[in-house]
Amino acid sequence: MTEERLTCQQLEEVYELYALGSLEAAERDEIEAHLTHGCTHCKQGVADAMALNAMVLSFVPEVVPPRELKHRVLAAIGYERPGWFWAGALAASLMLIVALWLGIQEREHYSELADARRDVINITADRDRLNQALLFLSDPETTPVSFGRGQQAPPRGYVFLHPQLGVMLIASNLPPAGEGKAYEMWVIPKGGAPRPAGLFQSDGTRALHVLGGPVDVATLGVVAVTLEPAAGSAAPTTTPIIAAQVARS
Amino acid sequence: MRVLKLLPFALAFGILQVVLRLPNDGDLIRRLKAREPKAMAELYDRYGRIAYSVVLRVVHNPSVAEDLVQETFIRVWNRMESFDAERGALGPWVLTVARNRAIDYLRSVDGRMQAGAVELEKLERPGFFADMGAQALSMDRVRRVKSAFEKLNPNQKTVIEMAYYEGMSQTEVAEKLKQPLGTVKTWTRAALKILRDELGEAAIA
Repeated sequence: MTEERLTCQQLEEVYELYALGSLEAAERDEIEAHLTHGCTHCKQGVADAMALNAMVLSFVPEVVPPRELKHRVLAAIGYERPGWFWAGALAASLMLIVALWLGIQEREHYSELADARRDVINITADRDRLNQALLFLSDPETTPVSFGRGQQAPPRGYVFLHPQLGVMLIASNLPPAGEGKAYEMWVIPKGGAPRPAGLFQSDGTRALHVLGGPVDVATLGVVAVTLEPAAGSAAPTTTPIIAAQVARS
Repeated sequence: MRVLKLLPFALAFGILQVVLRLPNDGDLIRRLKAREPKAMAELYDRYGRIAYSVVLRVVHNPSVAEDLVQETFIRVWNRMESFDAERGALGPWVLTVARNRAIDYLRSVDGRMQAGAVELEKLERPGFFADMGAQALSMDRVRRVKSAFEKLNPNQKTVIEMAYYEGMSQTEVAEKLKQPLGTVKTWTRAALKILRDELGEAAIA
């Protein structure tokens, strides 16, 4: 433990730098020695410094964050307001479908019609995935498991396990897989070999993938994701980008 | 009535909800400790905008800022258990966690201070935010400190911003500004003394 060589009065002028984590090691150790020894003067001084620092930070010009950030934050803790967000997402999807359908009526070119139909299929697929996600999130039997927490370079997110519905993965910060590539999810039983659990893509910000059907949650050890050729692989060929430990202790 | 007179000032700088310990913070903290997801939505409504503003000011990248704000709120959610509902200052805590996440990111990108992450985590302990109380965060103090901050000379403002928004040590600041370390220390400590004294004056007034 560091000896106290400086007095509280000498340390007073650097409490704020200590609270910012910007103090050089020698002085930082001095303050920590005071705090460790129960120095009430330094403890109150550091608390006051924290308050002052928060004030200074609050002087920053305000910028309005994107609206979807709130949804991300709430989704990250496994909660989203079903009353408006999911309903809103479904309504938006339906409105897009209607809009596309009306647009199709006016189009004369077959190629445009084919493109629009493809869009409808994609949107319908998106809507179905959102519905599926809602099923997971609204069922009390669903178990969420986070991954990537605390890492400097995510991906991170949640794996949701449900004995009947299957396994759902929601990941943020997953870069696009790239040309000719796809992400492949694997379910790995405790002490067993990885089993393919489907291919999916990421739009660069987040990805949602569901392995439907009953799953034996009790024997499941890890849910992992690797980067594979677009057609998929029978066994992982690259190092997992995501490895969520889902085994119950 | 005094509070009402100060209200336009507070709103102008967007600081009302951040630095004050709001009367109903205790209730919100208790609901967060009880893991009520709706309380998390309320926490975001209260502090999401200012947290995003601080993080964006540090990282200058909206996409990264969104990730870090998300990380901030998850961290607060996960550590709420040890936060003091009676004495804890929620706004300063959220703001500190947000700033530290951003600085951690900046340091990891720059390859600076590898042990920085651990150090900053220690400085986010809820215990540090339990002794501020409403008095330390009064509107009068905020007003005085803001006024003093604006009167810092350019050198003082530069070194303060490098410490707060770039997470630089005094040595790093000196290297970047190509100034003697002693000079940088003098500027920084003089600036902090001005702000601190203003805080103290407000406490006496």
